[in-house]
Amino acid sequence: MTTEELKNLNADKVVDARGTSCPGPLLAAKKGIGELDSGQIMEILSTDVGTKRDIPKWANKKGHEYLGDYEDAGFFRVFMKKK
Amino acid sequence: MINDLKGGKKMAKMTMALFSGSVDKLTAAGVILSGAAADDMDVEVFVLLMGARAFIKGKKTESIAELPDHKEEFLKALEDLNIPSWQDFFEQAKELTNVKIYICSLAGKIWGGEKMDDFIDLVDDICGIGEYVSSAQEADVHLFI
Repeated sequence: MTTEELKNLNADKVVDARGTSCPGPLLAAKKGIGELDSGQIMEILSTDVGTKRDIPKWANKKGHEYLGDYEDAGFFRVFMKKK
Repeated sequence: MINDLKGGKKMAKMTMALFSGSVDKLTAAGVILSGAAADDMDVEVFVLLMGARAFIKGKKTESIAELPDHKEEFLKALEDLNIPSWQDFFEQAKELTNVKIYICSLAGKIWGGEKMDDFIDLVDDICGIGEYVSSAQEADVHLFI
């Protein structure tokens, strides 16, 4: 998805993992995804630069759909859709 | 044999030989366990010789194995970055996936631990080396730390 499309997305759940280092955001995402229903969208906020590579790899492996990410003021917003 | 079925699929298995009992390597092990937990892997950790000391009740671990001259720098960074303790990483991984921690019986004895009561709650059982070898043989990922 483009950044514009991502900005217009309404996430069903926002997981704020800002301030934690790897593996914090990944574990936060793992915990968060369990609380969603199939097809719902999760947004992960992270200040850890590794998240941008970590989350898509993990999401795809688990069969979820990685939607994209963009940088906000000093952190990243990462989006995925639960399978 | 801890391979559970999840959604009819066999979960991948990680076997870790945890030989080191120093804060740096225990922290690395904890981070790796977190990754395995995110991936829903089945994990068996076999705590060997020097590793066992860290799992004995009442013993505090302060050594670091690598770059000992930079211990203060390392420990300060862990604190500044708000990194969980290695015990917290292990505990969290156990909450998220099937992680079993076994102390090698010889290793336990070396540091004064012979019964389950001597070890911290993270420990699931005391075992022999044969079980480690079998576990490693079956594992998809095998690590020695």
